[in-house]
Amino acid sequence: MSTTRATGCPECDGRLTADGDETVCEGCGLVVSTDRLDRGPEWRSFEDDDRNPARCGAPLTRSRHDRGLSTEIGRSGRGKNRKWSRLRRQHRRTQIRSKRERNQVYGFTEIRRLMGALSLPDRIRDQSCSLFESAQEEDLLRGRSIEGFASAAVYAACRVAGVSRTTQEVLDAAKATADEHRAAYDALNRELGLPVSAAEPAEFVARFASELDLGQAVRRRARDLAEQAVDSGHANGRNPGGVAAGAIYLAARRKDEAVTQAEAADVADVTPVTVRTTYQALRD
Amino acid sequence: MDRESRRAVSREYFSQERLAEHHFRSFNNFLDRGMQDVVDEKETIGTDIGDKEGQEPVWVELGDVRILTPRVREADGSEELLYPQEARLRNITYAAPVFMEMSIVRGGEDEPEEVVDQTETKVGRMPIMVGSNKCNIDGFSDDELIDIGEDPVDPGGYFIVNGSERVLMTSEDLAPNKILAEHDTKYGDDIQVAKTFSQRRGYRALVLCERNREGLLEVSFPSVSGSVPFVTLVRALGLESDEEIVHRVSEDPEIVKFMLENLEEADVQTEEEAIETLGKRVASGQGKNYQLKRANYVIDRYLLPHLHEEGVEEEDVRINKAYYLCRMAEACFELALGRRDSDDKDHYSNKRLKVSGDLMKDLFRTALNKLSRDVKYQLERANMRNRDLSVNTVVRSDVLTERLEHPIATGNWVGGRSGVSQLVDRTDYMGVLSHLRRLRSPLSRSQPHFDARDLHATQWGRICPSETPEGPNCGLVKNFAQAMELSQHVDDERELKRELDEMGVEGIPGIEGVERATPADD
Repeated sequence: MSTTRATGCPECDGRLTADGDETVCEGCGLVVSTDRLDRGPEWRSFEDDDRNPARCGAPLTRSRHDRGLSTEIGRSGRGKNRKWSRLRRQHRRTQIRSKRERNQVYGFTEIRRLMGALSLPDRIRDQSCSLFESAQEEDLLRGRSIEGFASAAVYAACRVAGVSRTTQEVLDAAKATADEHRAAYDALNRELGLPVSAAEPAEFVARFASELDLGQAVRRRARDLAEQAVDSGHANGRNPGGVAAGAIYLAARRKDEAVTQAEAADVADVTPVTVRTTYQALRD
Repeated sequence: MDRESRRAVSREYFSQERLAEHHFRSFNNFLDRGMQDVVDEKETIGTDIGDKEGQEPVWVELGDVRILTPRVREADGSEELLYPQEARLRNITYAAPVFMEMSIVRGGEDEPEEVVDQTETKVGRMPIMVGSNKCNIDGFSDDELIDIGEDPVDPGGYFIVNGSERVLMTSEDLAPNKILAEHDTKYGDDIQVAKTFSQRRGYRALVLCERNREGLLEVSFPSVSGSVPFVTLVRALGLESDEEIVHRVSEDPEIVKFMLENLEEADVQTEEEAIETLGKRVASGQGKNYQLKRANYVIDRYLLPHLHEEGVEEEDVRINKAYYLCRMAEACFELALGRRDSDDKDHYSNKRLKVSGDLMKDLFRTALNKLSRDVKYQLERANMRNRDLSVNTVVRSDVLTERLEHPIATGNWVGGRSGVSQLVDRTDYMGVLSHLRRLRSPLSRSQPHFDARDLHATQWGRICPSETPEGPNCGLVKNFAQAMELSQHVDDERELKRELDEMGVEGIPGIEGVERATPADD
């Protein structure tokens, strides 16, 4: 399992990858740190040994209100069943101590569900959950909806990590309504000072192009065009998704792949007019 | 057969497609029908919504499942086809998205039923066997395989989870739904026992019929502690008169004598009395009505579940259960009188193999149950918070995915079995082939089990007589013979039964135009 750290390599500023017990730079191969504790369970199997191979529980995770540390009373034991189910129920009840924790459990469940629905990586999941928690600490949830904050946290985490999703995409999967989402996102942005810049049109190109089933050459071209649009200032004040769709449309035409303006507009959830504007601006 | 044709036949048996064929057949069968069967068994997901006054009940109806071929969702959101080699190198799972049609229905009490929302939604991802019908390399030529970095002589037949190749061990179980008679000892006395592992839809119940030292028959089955007298139970099932019971067990005069002893000891005479007695056993200390309800429930649910069938009257099933118990009783008596030998558990006709598709079906069933519980919870929660109920917002696709991937990754299967999935042995090419064709007995390797470890004559042509490990697993881990043919269970049992009926077999329940004259004998 490998995860990418946010900070770069001290030598060449390359991407760092944690692999097993070493953190290695992908660029120059410098081992930045070693002997990190692997907090996960063992994934080797002892063939048909009956013993449980895990020497510890599941890894700590921010996406659970208790960091995944709580225990559960198992069912394998014999003995009085009624007594054990009573104990199990009492034990379960102690896991949530306050209204706030209950809200957090609900919010995190919704965030995890959104992660599955939008197929986002674990990194984003943890970030969204931290965001949600900070929002709770700042007392932002009062009077606003939990569902709204869950979807807003997901949307914000995607923006921050540079893997933007359009608001509509998040809303389609979310339980929140557009108003709840908006209110929650505004509150997050205002009170927590999210380090979000305007979404780059290039971030959308890969996703839209794969939905339109376009080749690698078109994608590369569309990416270049999208960046060009930003550099030339054409993208200013325009829907980044629409700009991406325009760039894809132009790239596809140049490479003779069949995409209509309507199709390009449809995947980006904009009107064909938006696509046409970008297309015309980029063509000249 | 001349030498040339023999050569041709054996070459065919050694061809590459046959090496892991049993895995492919089983898994493809699971993808084509098994998954849908499990969903159809489940049918609906009920909720507690509507228990309160003035609320209309809500439930979810499950429809068709559809599975794509493996693909990967990148961080930037694009979705690409995934090939096995990429999955191995990137340490990701070779899995395909699964979609299911679901509709949320409300109403039925005061208002007409109304479909609140109906869509096909992604319910999770299913790990795909390399080389199966849903695998992306299915039908590729050697050159195409080389182009995408795949080994053209790789046999396939395994899964890739988190980048590691995992093969599901074929397991060798005792045949379910068969009467096995054998000797046993209880308190130092020799007794005769007839056993049946009754299995239906993943539920497995052991039914025992014992002839104790007084010569009395006792039956034990799940949910009833201890045992119930045979006569009481068959009377509860609707076989009332002395004459009929004796007649159903056997015509043999000595067995009739044994049966009369049993009938003399019987403390109940009618069906009602018998059910009352049973009720006292299963729900002692409860109200009378509850006892009766519980007794009927136990009979229909836990006693010989394999005799149940879709579209067959409950009454017919009950009388069939009585007949079946009579066959078990007959087996006990015949064994006691030395008319027959005890059944050989190691005989290969008393064994069934669970191949990857069967194992995946078990897994999918529990995963779907888990998903259903989650959907139920989400629906109730959404309803409580006055949200609109929609399919997309109540399905958490990671629930199913997690339940499917984790057992394959760790080998800890449902039902507490461990070591079901193993890392493919890549020591050399022969190692892989041998590993894919290996089967495992679930018997504990720490106990002697001399008979189970022995080479049995019926393994001829099926199991390799020499390839077995030394040490504790000796004889418990076996390998298929090269020319082994694995037969599969009948797809449609009703068609088979209709065919039997036309050939003159009487007493098959649920078949039109047949009068029941003799017991269904199986």
